[in-house]
Order: sequence, then C-alpha cells, then structure tokens
Amino acid sequence: PSRQANPFQHRICHVFSTSEDRDGSMSFEDFLDMLSVFSDSATLDVKSHYAFQIFDFDDDGTLDRKDLEKLVDCLTGEGEEARLSSAEMEQLIGNILEESDIDKDGTINLSEFQHVVSRSPDFASSFKIVL
Amino acid sequence: FYAEEKLVGNLASMSKRERIKAIQKMPKTMKKKREIRNKVLREIAKKSGSRSTQLACCTQCQCGAAASFRRFRNSLSEHFHLLQFWQKTLKIIGGKFGTSVLSYFIFLKWLLNFNIFSFLINFSFITVPQFVAAEPNNLSFTGLELLTGAGYFQQTVLYYGFYTNATISKMKNGASYNMQLAYIFTVGIYFVICLLVLLFSMAKSFCRNFINPQAYSGSAFKLLCAWDFSITNEKAVKLKQKNLSTQIKEDLTEVNKEVLNFTVTERVVRILIHFGSWVASLGLAVAACAGVYFLSINNLELFMKGHKNDLESQAAMLVLPIVTSLLNVFIPFFYSWLGHLEKFQNPRNKIYVTIARNIILKISIIGILCYYWLTIVAASESQCWESLIGQDIYRLVLVDFIFCLLGSFFGEFLRRVIGTTVCVSLGVPEFDIGRNVLDLIYAQTLTWIGILFSPLLPGIQMILFSIVFYVKKVSLMRNCQPPRKVWRAAQMTTFFMLLLFFPSLTGALSVIAVTVWRLKPSKECGPFRGLPSMYAAVSEWIKILENYVSSKWVVWIYYNLITSELFFFILSVILLIITYLYWQIIEGRRTLAKLLRKHIAN
Repeated sequence: PSRQANPFQHRICHVFSTSEDRDGSMSFEDFLDMLSVFSDSATLDVKSHYAFQIFDFDDDGTLDRKDLEKLVDCLTGEGEEARLSSAEMEQLIGNILEESDIDKDGTINLSEFQHVVSRSPDFASSFKIVL
Repeated sequence: FYAEEKLVGNLASMSKRERIKAIQKMPKTMKKKREIRNKVLREIAKKSGSRSTQLACCTQCQCGAAASFRRFRNSLSEHFHLLQFWQKTLKIIGGKFGTSVLSYFIFLKWLLNFNIFSFLINFSFITVPQFVAAEPNNLSFTGLELLTGAGYFQQTVLYYGFYTNATISKMKNGASYNMQLAYIFTVGIYFVICLLVLLFSMAKSFCRNFINPQAYSGSAFKLLCAWDFSITNEKAVKLKQKNLSTQIKEDLTEVNKEVLNFTVTERVVRILIHFGSWVASLGLAVAACAGVYFLSINNLELFMKGHKNDLESQAAMLVLPIVTSLLNVFIPFFYSWLGHLEKFQNPRNKIYVTIARNIILKISIIGILCYYWLTIVAASESQCWESLIGQDIYRLVLVDFIFCLLGSFFGEFLRRVIGTTVCVSLGVPEFDIGRNVLDLIYAQTLTWIGILFSPLLPGIQMILFSIVFYVKKVSLMRNCQPPRKVWRAAQMTTFFMLLLFFPSLTGALSVIAVTVWRLKPSKECGPFRGLPSMYAAVSEWIKILENYVSSKWVVWIYYNLITSELFFFILSVILLIITYLYWQIIEGRRTLAKLLRKHIAN
C-alpha cells in the first residue's frame, strides 16, 4: 500500500519481477530483492544500477529522449497545467543531455548515469523505502 | 559465460568475509546470487578436496563458532535497532513531508544524544558522589523557582556552588574520591569527546556531500535524483509533483531570462541598497547587544542591592531572558523583510544572506552575555558568582524554550487558522527549517556554556528537547505543508553541523577555557574554593604525584607534552605540512579528471 501512490510503481514491479509471464507479479524473493535495494545498506552502485533500470522505460539499456520525456511526465504528474509544453520539454532534455552525456552520443548509458548520481549526495537518502 | 567463469574464479580466491560482501554488492536477483554462491562453493570444495581430513575437524569447529558468533551479532544489532526511539515517527514525517523536513528532526535527535551523554556522565561522576557528602538544604521551596532557578535550587546539586571541595570518603581508610579533579576531568573529557565526534561527523558528511560543488547546479541531477522514494502519502505525492513541475518551469524561465545588463546608475543603486541593508542589520544587532548588556548590568546591581527572596525582585530577574528571547524572535522577521526589500537576483542568495544575518545576531548576543558574565559577574562581590551565571543560563534556556513553544503556537497554528479561514490567499504555512535549526543551535550553545556552572543543565535540556520534538511534530502534522523550494537536505545538514562546530562548540570551549585558566573561583563555594584558578587543582595534583615513584610517567607526560609549548608547535607544523600535501594531491586529481573528461568526449 505504501507504493501505490508512487508514480514509478509499475516500473519498479516490472524491474524486480522475475516471473516468466512478464506480468509484473513478484515472488517473495523478488520482494526481498526490492527491499534490499531500497534499504539503507545497499551501496550507491546497486541503487544507481536499479534506478537506471527503473527509469529506462523502453528497456533498451540506455536513456534516450523518449525515456527522459516519460520520466519528466512521471515526475510532474498527470494534471494538465502541470505538464510541460513541448518547447519547455525540448529545452529541459537538451540541458540534461548536455550535462550528463559525456560521450555525446545522444543517450545516457549506465556509466554516465552513475556518474551523475554519484555527484548528488541526496540520491542515496531519497532512493529509500523504510518499512 | 566466460565472464561468469572469471567471476566465480575471482570469488573463490577471496576470503570468506570478502566473498560474502562481494556477492551482496552484485546488482543481480537473489536466485542468480545463490547460483553463483553455490558454484563458488563447489569450486572451493574441488580445490581443497585433496587436502587431508585432519584439518576438517578444526575447521568445522571454527566454522561453527564463526557462524554462531555472526548470528549473535546479528540478533544484537536487531535489538539495538529496537532501542532507536522515534523510528516510527521519523518515518511518518519523512513519508509525508520529504527528506528536507526530516533532516531537522534528525538533527534534533542528534543534539539530544549529546545532551543525554553529558547528563549521564555528569550525573554519575559528579552528582552521585556529591549526594554522599551533601549538606542539608534550609531554604524553602516556592513554585517560582522552577522559572527563575534561584531560591531553593541555589543549595541543590543543580549549581556549581553546592559542590564540595573535599575529598569524599565513606569509610575511614577506604578509597577516596577527589571532587575537584572529578569535576574538572569530567567536564574536560566530555568536551574532548564532543569535539572529536563533531569533527568526525563533519568530515564524513563533508566528504560525502561536497564531492564536486560546481557540478551541483545542473538540471540533470535535479531531474534524475529528484524523486523522493520515501514519500508514501498520496496527497504528498501529488503535491511533490506539482512542486517539481513548478520548479522545473521556473528554472527554465530563469535560464531563458537574459542577463539584464544594468546601467551604471542602476548598479550603483543596487550596491547602495545592499550596503544599506547590511549596515541596518549589523546596526540592529549592535543595538540589541548594547541593550542586553545594559539590562544585565542593571540586573546585577538590583540583585546586589536588594533582598533575594522578594517576589518582585525574583520576577525582575526574568526580565533579561524575556527581552533576549523577544529580540531573538522579532529581529529575524525584520531581516527577512529586509531580504524581500533588497530584490536579490538569485533567490538562493537571499536565503544565505538571511541565515548569515541571523547567525551574526545570535552569536553576538551570546558573545555579549559571555563577556558580561566573565568580566563583570566574575569580578563582582557576590558570594558565589559561578552559581549566578548558572542561574542566568538556566533562566535563558527555560525562557527560550517557552518562546519556542509560543512561536510554534503563533507562527504555525494561528497562521494556519488565519490562512484557511480569514485570509485564504495566504494559505497554509510552510515549515521554516532554517529558523528552527538556528534556534536549536542557539539552545545547544547555551547548554554547552552552562555545563561548567550547572552540571545538571544537559539533563534539563534533554527534557526540553524531547518536549520540543513532540510539539513540533504535532504542529507540523496539523498545521504545515511541505516546503515548496528544493531544500538541499544533505548540503544544508553539513552546513548546520559546521555551524554547530565553528561558532557554537568552539565558542563554548573558549568561554570554558577562559573560566578554567584565567578566572579566580569564588572563595566560599564550589569545588575550587580558595584556589587561584580552577586549573590549579590539576597542577597541584601533579605536584602530589611527583612524590610517588609509580606515577612518574604521568608527571613526565604532563610536563613535557601538555604544558610544553614546543610540543604543540611541532604538532601544528606537522599538521600544516600534511594539509598542504593533501591540497596539492586534490589539485592534481582535479586536473586529471578534467583531462580524462576531454578524452572521453573526443
């Protein structure tokens, strides 16, 4: 119930579930995996690895423009006035790619993501679910 | 497949503990980890299968012992977690308001730990022995003492003056307890431990949170790390989303706004306005200090002249703390109004400038009070000047606590009532983290200064902080909304720890150092009566120790390390050299990182 309000709930279930049906159902072991990643004692490496998978909406191993757009929409919510206009979205994604894309290939891969995350000290404390 | 083979081979060659850690760190599912671990164990069994079975028994016992020890340690740490009080409350606050407001409550809990530790050691080493050698208390108890700290409490263990300077011994030839040494060593060791704890937490926090300050201003980190997964309340989630979207839009427009080129006159006018408001705020702080100083001198004269047991004169003693707290409450409002007037270009600068002004105000008020205490009260003819200072600090702490509760009531409760019924456009108030944390630091500074003069003060502060925790929590839940702007919790926590260290603890330490080394203790009360200075107790003890052969090493350490200036000089030179070397290493690494980044981009 504490995860129902989370806008990333579907992605979390999808990433941690290992069932063959791909329906997002989680066994007890998957649940344990999820809790251990979101706990205090998981290292930054583990957390950023899973965060990357959660944010990678199309599961292609990199965060491209579409993934980033979907991410921004999740963060700002469903309301009409909360959504960004397409010009604002373009500018925002341009800014993000400019700052984090080190090899300038237009997408953010896992190492670049981990590099950005390692410079933000709040990440470890916000990527946490306490039971 | 080859990579997995290599992984298994690597893991098999590590020691057991390292292997467990390495497997735990892998970002794979539990099933996969279990498979890898089984493969590794099979590898190890294969390798050592040829060894003799003689060792099997010993290693079995060892393994069994190690496993049961590990289990014992795990269950101990589980029970230790149960001892962490307020865990559930903190989780609820974090879930509803996010990590920024949570950082205030965690800071409060951390300060509470300092007070609990101080109370425990003071009580066990100083107060309990004093109970054994206590003198009877002839004064009567009226209710007003709880507020003024004088009267009945003067002859209790609450203040320095009550403690005996004798060497307490219960039996004729039994062990004796030297009260003077106990007093000075307990307070000294407590402060040394505080200093070390604060230094290490600050260093750890600084290392974690300030890795690369210039990279912090980007929007990438804001987006990728912005979501607070610990928020669980649905309304709070929607609110956070709204805030994030507003903030992203604001940031984009800010970047888009061209840097306005001011004309020369406009620039001069802006500089004049900034200069003027700094002059106004500093002037106000100086005026407040002067007011406090004259009021306290007045107070002392009244006290020396009049009877001490009059109800009126007792109430008059409360005027100084009330005036100080009023100044502490109302002047910050004036400062934030000044901040609005100045029209800063960068809203973050406004917050920093306002916090800086508040800090200057609070520090100067405490500074002027310390000056008054150490120069005027200590030199006055009163019977027991240390107890007087202790009473002053007790009153200040108590009145500050009452004003904190009142501030919560008026600032949050009434403001919410006004904001929702009378003037709906104001809305529900936000929880002002900066102001509340500065109040906590102020209270803790007063407590630290007061430990020498009133050993049980941390115990009182412990109770007051717990009450503040509950009141703030209730007020937060009922009256406030989460803060709108992104409040960098980790950086601000480091900043507040730095504030706690630099003006607060070092200031308290210098006040105590001046008292112990320079001031003459009062002749008729307290553990150091009759000595030329409090430190003389230690030097006399060393002189006594010189006569015993078995403690020559203590005397040697004292004369050659603690009192010799050469030792400290050499130590400082070594520290400076090490600091310089580390600084050069950091510079070199920074250039290397820049070079590598350029390589990757090409």
